[in-house]
Amino acid sequence: MSHAHTPGNGGAEHPAAPTVDEITDFEVLEIAVRELAIEHGLFTAEDHRRFTEWAESIGPAAGSRLVAKAWVDPAFKERVLKDAVKACKEIGIDWAEPTGFGTPSDYMNLRVLEDTPTLHHVIVCTLCSCYPRPLLGMSPEWYRTTNYRRRLVRWPRQVLAEFGLVLPPEVEIRVEDSNQKCRFMVLPVRPAGTENWTEEQLAEIVTRDCMIGVALPRPGRTADVHPMHRARRPVGSSRD
Amino acid sequence: MAGREELVQQQEIISFLQPALHMPQNWNYELASPVVKAYLHPPHDVGGQFDVPAIYEEKEEEQWELNTYVTCEVLGWRGIWNSEERRRRADNDLGYAMYLGIPYYGRWILAAARMLVDKKHIALSELIEKIAEVKARYARK
Repeated sequence: MSHAHTPGNGGAEHPAAPTVDEITDFEVLEIAVRELAIEHGLFTAEDHRRFTEWAESIGPAAGSRLVAKAWVDPAFKERVLKDAVKACKEIGIDWAEPTGFGTPSDYMNLRVLEDTPTLHHVIVCTLCSCYPRPLLGMSPEWYRTTNYRRRLVRWPRQVLAEFGLVLPPEVEIRVEDSNQKCRFMVLPVRPAGTENWTEEQLAEIVTRDCMIGVALPRPGRTADVHPMHRARRPVGSSRD
Repeated sequence: MAGREELVQQQEIISFLQPALHMPQNWNYELASPVVKAYLHPPHDVGGQFDVPAIYEEKEEEQWELNTYVTCEVLGWRGIWNSEERRRRADNDLGYAMYLGIPYYGRWILAAARMLVDKKHIALSELIEKIAEVKARYARK
């Protein structure tokens, strides 16, 4: 579990960790807990496989589709703002998956926060890392850090500026603190220069960061760029 | 045994942590002191605390991290624990060393292991034996 982290190594891309054969303590514990739980009949290997399949199927593309559709279809937008979980079904996202009652930690309660030219929303979870997983996938690591959670609620303008989003003083910033029982997502303002675009074209500029509220969509911006900390054994890599 | 340089570095980190209480007097004569109250503050409730600007980086997910997420969720699915006990106690209210000191999903898997033992779904000795068995299994490969 040794980390190559040294304080102050700045924003440099972390080099890929050297390939290591030895198994880490967390890997050992993860295998031990999973195997014991299955041996004791607490859940089945099939339960684990099914949930993994669902977890690997979610991602921010669903949120992008929702925003793009809301931009071109005012009636859909009204439905989104009224009952977002219900409206998600129209873009193929059922919050009841994969168990029939949602995931055990994502309550089926989503509120979509509509931005205006003078009001900007941004989401955080100060107590843990609540995030609208069925619609945006797994949260980014920075969203889970104490740093983001500490500062955003108090110095939102400064934190957003560090993400490269400098908002003029006349724009009010509203920080929404997610919690166990309610998840939030930002519906940004449709940017100028996207008139006559198709939903697919629009969805491309609605990146994950735009739906968290740390970036604004604009023509030509189709990816969120952050330094990447590489995994030792990333998802999909085999040990054997 | 740690070398001198390593010891000095460790001392430096510790001294950064300890004077976090920027007050001239940190001994307490009363139980009701605001200092005691501050020490009792749950470490995961961080909104509004001071911190320095940071580089917000992404992290590629480790296989064990995804597995941990799924294991914790499936344990919930099958009614072994619920969201309240996970959020408030198991994953978060762990004390500063555990909360701030170990990786995000490290907290999750430790919480799951502790819960299974606490609720007597598995015995601690069984967990210890399993850990040794898994280590041995992969050491041979």
